[in-house]
Amino acid sequence: MIEWFHPGLIYIFGALLIPVLRGRVKKAYLLLIPIMAFTNLLLMSNSVFLSEGKTWFLPFLRYDLVLGRIDRVSMVFAYVFVIASFCMMFYALHIKEDGQHIAAYIYVGSTLGVVFAGDLLTLFFFWEWMTWSALPLIWYQKTKRAYAAGFRYILVHFFGGLCLLGGILLHFQTTGSIAFETFRWGWELSWNNVACYLILFAFIINAAVPPLHAWLSDAYPEATVTGAVFLTAFTTKSAIYVLIRGFPGVELLIWLGAIMAVYGVIFAVLENDIRRLLAYHIISQVGYMVSGVGMGVIGTAAGQMAINGAVAHAFCHILYKALLFMGAGAVLAVTGRSRLTQLGGLYKYMPITFHLYMVGAYSISGFPLFNGFVSKTMVVQASAMWHLPIIWLMLEGASIGTFLHTGLKLPWGTWFARERPMCEAKEPPKNMLVAMGITAFLCTLLGVYPRVLYNLLPYPVHYEPYTPGHVVSMCQLLLFTFVAFWMLRKKLYGEPTLTLDTDWFYRMAGKRVIWFCEKPLMAFASFIDMKVLSVARFFVWLSRNPVVALGIQKEEVKLIGRRLFASPERVEEYERGLEEERRRYPGELPRLTLGASVFLILLSLFLYLILYLLRAV
Amino acid sequence: MKITKKPLFWILSGCIFLSIITGFFVHSYLHPHMYFFWEVLPFFSALYGFIGCIVIIIGSKALGHFWLQKDEDYYENHDAVWSEKE
Repeated sequence: MIEWFHPGLIYIFGALLIPVLRGRVKKAYLLLIPIMAFTNLLLMSNSVFLSEGKTWFLPFLRYDLVLGRIDRVSMVFAYVFVIASFCMMFYALHIKEDGQHIAAYIYVGSTLGVVFAGDLLTLFFFWEWMTWSALPLIWYQKTKRAYAAGFRYILVHFFGGLCLLGGILLHFQTTGSIAFETFRWGWELSWNNVACYLILFAFIINAAVPPLHAWLSDAYPEATVTGAVFLTAFTTKSAIYVLIRGFPGVELLIWLGAIMAVYGVIFAVLENDIRRLLAYHIISQVGYMVSGVGMGVIGTAAGQMAINGAVAHAFCHILYKALLFMGAGAVLAVTGRSRLTQLGGLYKYMPITFHLYMVGAYSISGFPLFNGFVSKTMVVQASAMWHLPIIWLMLEGASIGTFLHTGLKLPWGTWFARERPMCEAKEPPKNMLVAMGITAFLCTLLGVYPRVLYNLLPYPVHYEPYTPGHVVSMCQLLLFTFVAFWMLRKKLYGEPTLTLDTDWFYRMAGKRVIWFCEKPLMAFASFIDMKVLSVARFFVWLSRNPVVALGIQKEEVKLIGRRLFASPERVEEYERGLEEERRRYPGELPRLTLGASVFLILLSLFLYLILYLLRAV
Repeated sequence: MKITKKPLFWILSGCIFLSIITGFFVHSYLHPHMYFFWEVLPFFSALYGFIGCIVIIIGSKALGHFWLQKDEDYYENHDAVWSEKE
């Protein structure tokens, strides 16, 4: 009996069969893959396959590649990735292009590979696969903007991947180990620390920590309707997973996370595109998790609360963010529009989509009875346990902004805001609605019965979300946000603008580089080219009849002298003579007699002999 | 229809009122554990939500209008290389 089967490989190998199948069989098959992976995970939880705490490795050269590291942290992430992939694939079932399905499943599978990776080489391998396989999900949108955004996405991740590889190699060089454990490092300068900085840098690029976040808000809103739903979950949350593994309790992350949470909110105010608005809220929500990882000092009660909070929030976030992107995607799929300035009054046409979207909105805002409430408050609670007042205020403030945009501004601007609808619309295809329904059910289930989630978390949970104090203060916060929104709602209409973000630097720099290549660099290259060619041309000319050619050259040098001393008529005569000679060139080629040829051959052999003897000495 | 005639308006107003009242109730009878000094105010969250929301809207809009918001085809227009080709 096989010891273990990697759940990620179910997706990756499963994806290969997709183009062979047709019609209903294909749809059933697409849904069967996540179900098989889920069964696999259940078998692992029940110790039929590898049980928790075990590893599965593959000997490779002199090393053991740990493909399967099973513990509570990897299991909880694997569960949510598999569950989310089922909902997302249900949402994408109507898509005819096989390429999208294949890319999506390779993307999911390689993310699972990252989750179960127990050594740095395996991690790097799946990390790169994850990056690549996400690209088609953007490019299948087939717009000019999507192509450009996809290129920028892949360039940023190339850079991140190279940092990771560099870090891994340095780490291996200094420690001699490829195991992926918590990194030991400090702030003083040493090669091992540099390796850790590089690895941390690569991780926070994927976690979209400002100022390295712009790839996310740039690329995700340009992806296909269904591709964007997949994209929301995997890259950023697998980054949270590796941060939990490698860098728990790094104080820098607390601040980066809190800044992220607020940063996303500020930019979401200015955003007109509904999917980009939601993308900024991914950054904001991932901020809570990054902050939680930063507070997760191993071996302390507050640290355990923080890590639990980060994991729980990742779990919940994947579900409600998928739901929100499904709702926004449904609007885009039906109307072809995604800008608030071109939307409004759609409630008449798509009430079901609206209500399902709102479940996601309540969840992300952290309303009691929805899943955001049971997870977000854990991170906030951890910041209170560490007595970090500024962090606490920033995280609570981000909650306000989250409700303001995803719960109020976006649905208000899309489904209401105008008396008369901006365009015709209808409910999206049934599979999209059902997928939204399943996801909404899961969001509510976890909110109402959080034990399901808490039992999966890495540490035992000593936290009760539904205390009167928590519930009342959250209700106050959100209801008064609503009051302020209602007063200022006129200010929140979409504006047909684009918001500059840190991608400005590389987009502008990129243009300068292209300009530099096309203009000055090109001019310089063609100048050099011309010079080399003219030299070559001269030698070609010379070799046609060297005797005459040298004569012509000699005459030309003489001409320069004559120009100085002779009378103009004489000079003109000479010039004419030279012109005539050039025209006749190469003229009659001198014929060599047999004797002369033999003499030349002997001469060259003799020269060679002398050279040979000289070298021998 | 005037907004005060809609049932939703009254339900929401009721909830808002109730949240403040229960805030006082929870604070004085249940004594939840306090971590920060501002939690002595039973309506701190309401205040923070209200003020925070206004600050976020006004602050971000100011940031956007004075600095960050540009035309939608900003990048295309600033594209010296590509615009020549088109």
